[in-house]
Amino acid sequence: MINELIMKLTIFGRRFAQVLIVLIGSTFLLSMLLQLLPVGLEELYVVSFDEASRQIQLKRLRLDRNPVFGYFGWLWDFVRGDFGQYIYAGAGEKPVSGQIAAALPVSLRLVLYVQVISILVSVPLGIYTAYRAGRKIEKVISYGLFTLSAIPNFILALLFAGFFGVTLGWFPPLGYVGPSEDLVEHFRTMALPVLALAIPLIAAYTRILRTDMIASLREDYVTMAASKGLSNRRILFRHVLRPSSITLLTSAALNMGGLIGGALVIEQIFSIPGMGTEIAIAIFGRQFFALQSYIALIAVGYVLFNVLVDLLIGFVDPRARERRRA
Amino acid sequence: MLKRFYAADWFTRVSLLWLLVVAFCSIFGRVLPLPDPSFSNFDSLGVGPFSPGHVLGADLNGYDLLANVVVGAQTSMLIALVSVGAGGSIGATLGIVAAYRRGRFDYFVNTSFNILLSIPNLVLGLSLVAVLATSPNPDVQISVARRTFVIVLSLTVVIIPILGRIARGATLAWVNRDFVTAARSMGMRDNQIILRHIVPNVLPAIYGVGFLAVGVVIVAEGALSLLGVGVIDGISWGSMIARVAGDFEFAPHSLYVPAIVLSLTVISCNQIGDYLRSRLDIREGKI
Repeated sequence: MINELIMKLTIFGRRFAQVLIVLIGSTFLLSMLLQLLPVGLEELYVVSFDEASRQIQLKRLRLDRNPVFGYFGWLWDFVRGDFGQYIYAGAGEKPVSGQIAAALPVSLRLVLYVQVISILVSVPLGIYTAYRAGRKIEKVISYGLFTLSAIPNFILALLFAGFFGVTLGWFPPLGYVGPSEDLVEHFRTMALPVLALAIPLIAAYTRILRTDMIASLREDYVTMAASKGLSNRRILFRHVLRPSSITLLTSAALNMGGLIGGALVIEQIFSIPGMGTEIAIAIFGRQFFALQSYIALIAVGYVLFNVLVDLLIGFVDPRARERRRA
Repeated sequence: MLKRFYAADWFTRVSLLWLLVVAFCSIFGRVLPLPDPSFSNFDSLGVGPFSPGHVLGADLNGYDLLANVVVGAQTSMLIALVSVGAGGSIGATLGIVAAYRRGRFDYFVNTSFNILLSIPNLVLGLSLVAVLATSPNPDVQISVARRTFVIVLSLTVVIIPILGRIARGATLAWVNRDFVTAARSMGMRDNQIILRHIVPNVLPAIYGVGFLAVGVVIVAEGALSLLGVGVIDGISWGSMIARVAGDFEFAPHSLYVPAIVLSLTVISCNQIGDYLRSRLDIREGKI
C-alpha cells in the first residue's frame, strides 16, 4: 500500500519535473531569441535625456544586466501574473495583461468550439466508416476526407469568407461579437472561422478513429460479444468505441498546437480580436516583450493541455492506468 | 526511389505526377514562354481565365496568374525543400546518434526536441521570423533575399524536432536487433554500424515523414504570408494568396488559382508520405 503510494508519487514527480523542464526551457529559449534581434532592445525602448533616467529605465526593463538574469526576472513576473508592458519609447506604457484579458477568452472560445464540433462530427463518421469498411460509399467518404484534411485551413477560411460571407451574404465575412452582447450574432460571426478550422480536423479525427475502430473490431472480445447475441449498436458503442477513442483524444491534444497556430491566421482573416491579432500587432509594433509573454502563455497552455489529456486517458482506458503503474 | 511506386494506386500515381509537374515548373519556370510575372498589365486588371494573353487570367493588380503560379513554385519549393532537407538532416543525425548512444546525450537531445515541440510550430516559426526579419531601421524594408533566408532558417528550426523525433523513435526500434549486436561483437566501429546498419533501415521512415513535412512547410509559408511576414514583394504561392485575399468579390479566380495549386501540392505530399509509410509497415511485417 505504502509502496504503491510512493511509486505513484515518484511517477507523478518525474512527470511534473519533465513538464517543468520543458516549460522553463521553452520560455528561456524565447527570451534568448530576443538577443538575436538585429536591433538592440535598448535602442528600441529606451529614450532618455540624461544618464540617470537612462539607468532607471534600463533597470526597469532589466536590460542593465546579463540576459539570463533578465530571463529569471521576467519568469518571476510571469509566474505572478505580470506579463510585462507594451513600451512606447518616451510615450508611456500599457500593461500586456489587459490585452490578454480581452483577447484570450476570444481565442479560447474559438478553439473550444472547433474541438467540440470536430469531435461531435468525427465520432459518428468514424464509427460509420469503420463499420462499413471496404464498401464503395466508405471509400468515397475516406478519399474525400483525406483530401479535405490536406487543404490548409487558411485557404478554406478565405474561400468561405468570400463565398458565404461576400457572394451569398449568409454570414458576416469579418468581425466579432461577444456572447454577452448578442448570442445569435456571436455564433453567426464565429460560424465561418470555426468551420474553416474544424473541417481539416474532422477529416483527421475521422481517419484516426476509423483505423482504431477497425483494429478493435478484430479483437476476440468483439467476436465474443457478437456470439453472446449483443446488438451491433451495443457492441460498437460499448465495446469498440471506448478503447478506440484513446488515440483520438491524444491526437486532439496534439492537434491543439496546430489549432492554436491556425487560429492565429484565421483570426487575422476574419478580424477576430483574439491572441493571433494581438501577436500580429505586437510583431508589427515591435513590442518584443509583449510578444515573449504571449508566446510563453501559448506554450504553457499547450503543454498543460497535453498533460490534462494524459490524465483524461487514464480515466477513459483502465488499461492505460495499469500500464502506467507497471 | 521512383521504383517504390510501381505498384501504387491511382491516387498516389496522380500525386507523384503532380509533384513532378511542380518540380518541372520550379526548375524551368523562369525560361518558359510566359508573361513577366511581376509585370502589372493595366489593360487586363482582373480578367478571367482563358482571356487572350492570360491563360488563367490576371488578378486585380494585372499580374498574370499562370506566370505567378509557375514562377512562385520556385520560391515555395525552394523554401520547402531547403528547410526540410536541412532540418531533416540535422534532426535525423541528432535523433539517430542520440538513440544509438543513449545516456546523457540522448536525454539532452530528447529534452531539446520536447522543448521545441512544446511551442506550436507556426508560433515558433512566426516568432523566429518576427525577430530575425526585423529591420534595424523601420523605414527601410528588408530585402526579399534576406527575408527568404530568414524564413528558410526559421522553418528549418521548426522541422528539426519533428523529423528528429521520428528518427530517434525508428532508431530505438533497430538498435537492439541481433544484426547490430553481431556487428558490434565483430568489432565494427560505432559510426560504421550507424552508417551501414542503422541509417538504411531508418531512412524509409524519414522519407515518409519528410514528405508530410514538405506539406507542413508549404502551409507554413502561406500562413506566414497571410500574417504579413512571408516573402513580401516576392513571388511565392503564399504571397500570391495574401495579395488577393481581399479581392474575392471582384476577381474570385485570382484566389482559386494559387489556392488550388497550393492545396494540390500539399495533398500530393501527404498522399506520397502516407504511401511510403504504409509500404514501410508491410515490409516490417514480413520480417
